[in-house]
Amino acid sequence: MTTVYERRAAPPVAPAPRRSPAGAVLGLLWAGAAASVALWWADTGSVVGAAGWLTGAGRLAGLLCGYACAVLVGLMARVPLLERRIGSDRVARWHAMAGRYTVCLLVAHVVFILLGYAAQDRASIVHETVTVVLDYPDMLKATFGAVILFAVGITSARAARRKLSYEFWYYVHLLTYVAVFLSFFHQLSLGEQFSGRAGATDAWYALYLGVAALVLWYRILAPVRLNLRHRLRVESVHREAPGVYSVVVRGRRVHELGAEAGQFFRWRFFGEGMGWTSTPYSLSAPPRRDLLRITVKALGDHSAAIALLRPGARVWAEGPYGSMTAQRSSGQRSLLIAAGVGITPLRALFETLPGEVTLLYRARTAQDLALGAELEAIAQWRGAKVLYALNGPKGQRPSLGVRALREAVPDLAGHDVYICGPHAFAQELYGALSAAGVPDRRIHHESFEL
Amino acid sequence: MHPLKKNRPLRRIVLASAVTASGLVLLLALKPHTTPAIAVAPAPASSNSGTGSGGSSTTGTKTVTGDTAQTQWGPVQVKITVKSGKLTDVTVLQSPSENPRDQEINSYALPELKSEALAAQSASIDTVSGATYTSDGYRQSLQSALDSAGL
Repeated sequence: MTTVYERRAAPPVAPAPRRSPAGAVLGLLWAGAAASVALWWADTGSVVGAAGWLTGAGRLAGLLCGYACAVLVGLMARVPLLERRIGSDRVARWHAMAGRYTVCLLVAHVVFILLGYAAQDRASIVHETVTVVLDYPDMLKATFGAVILFAVGITSARAARRKLSYEFWYYVHLLTYVAVFLSFFHQLSLGEQFSGRAGATDAWYALYLGVAALVLWYRILAPVRLNLRHRLRVESVHREAPGVYSVVVRGRRVHELGAEAGQFFRWRFFGEGMGWTSTPYSLSAPPRRDLLRITVKALGDHSAAIALLRPGARVWAEGPYGSMTAQRSSGQRSLLIAAGVGITPLRALFETLPGEVTLLYRARTAQDLALGAELEAIAQWRGAKVLYALNGPKGQRPSLGVRALREAVPDLAGHDVYICGPHAFAQELYGALSAAGVPDRRIHHESFEL
Repeated sequence: MHPLKKNRPLRRIVLASAVTASGLVLLLALKPHTTPAIAVAPAPASSNSGTGSGGSSTTGTKTVTGDTAQTQWGPVQVKITVKSGKLTDVTVLQSPSENPRDQEINSYALPELKSEALAAQSASIDTVSGATYTSDGYRQSLQSALDSAGL
């Protein structure tokens, strides 16, 4: 175990707690949906007969689907407000939820429009489908777009995700941009709400171009700028525990990025066996002048290759992201609960969180404790407490139930609790903490389980 | 809701579907359900049914209004311009336009029918797909106009 950094000299200062803009952002998104419905309302005179009902339902579903596509892409544009203030995990969950809903809207749009048109033309549904796809302007493109969106939806379903590799899922997901682009044109050329209404068309263009600008800036240009400016390279790699490695990355003035303890970057390392996809790893120490550090457990191909990185290897990073920082803290006492390699963001927070801090570290054996020496040093320096929850001599798991937690941490309900570990572990703890009277708003957790 | 709370996705899916479906039905139900009065453009140039009406025939140019052809979706009527024995223009006086779908069909079908008619110099023109009824009515009205014009 290696202590790479010196500890901070000054005691941590409490940042002013900031309110999450989640409510405002959600309100704005819903207002947009209402405005899309209003477009239909203003444009529709009457709904006559079965054909009218079906076509009307299809149009509404289509409008909402078109709006939702823009929102879906926007949510994933890595906008700092969303990533750092609301939280990458929460925004990703919104995206997943809205994505499922959008695929349903897409099905409704296709089915209702085709049924409605077929009823209007007294034609068979097959004949109508062929006509609409082949003869209507921009519909061939839109059909391709819809097929891609279905594929994205199917590969993202939970059951499919378990069977597919991350890379495959990721590249299929990237096709969403193509799908949205292809289906954009039929919205304007066939969407009744847009024909002859300059205002509506302009608003729709503004929505889509605005989202495209966000993607271009925050997904492409901002990362390019970051990496050109800071020129990150691997400084050193250290073994912390069996299968757990720290990577120290050096970059010019990298501390100017303003990354905080508890945040993460998405990393690409240029070395053998690394592939092209980026992986999120939390900072395992507050940034120092020109230095960042992450600590990684060798779980997959990518993380296993980390151990083999050579000093000087090029690094591409995007971030900082994540909202599990000191800003979430609402009180003067914090309890940090880590399981295994979940220690990484909490190790950084353990150093910087203001007030009284207790760290509870769950691991199988004492050997598996990563960064242990550092934690002890920080505890001593700031007068904080570190508790370990290790398996018993016969491998029995320690209890982390209500009673055990209350005994270990007096006044448990008065703490802000930060949890980092596997999802099942976090859920179990959440149950115990809730039972012990810790309110939801003081249980902080970042989970990428959708 | 706290993200760590064990959520029940099925319940959420059922709820979202129910809310969406009732929202759609409600919106559609709030709209009037009767066909608004058809704003038929008064057929100009005293369209005497059957015979068609000769317009000005000075300098060899004359316009003839065709019969009104009734289709499933409403009346179709065209006016043709004949110059020195050649069909030079077809104007649509009436076409089904009471709902947005009709307008959508008109916007692509009518120009297509016109260019076919001018090319064929007759009413033997192809049906535009997706606009079967409008094409039929167009052919009928056009034929009656051509007959009146003696073409």
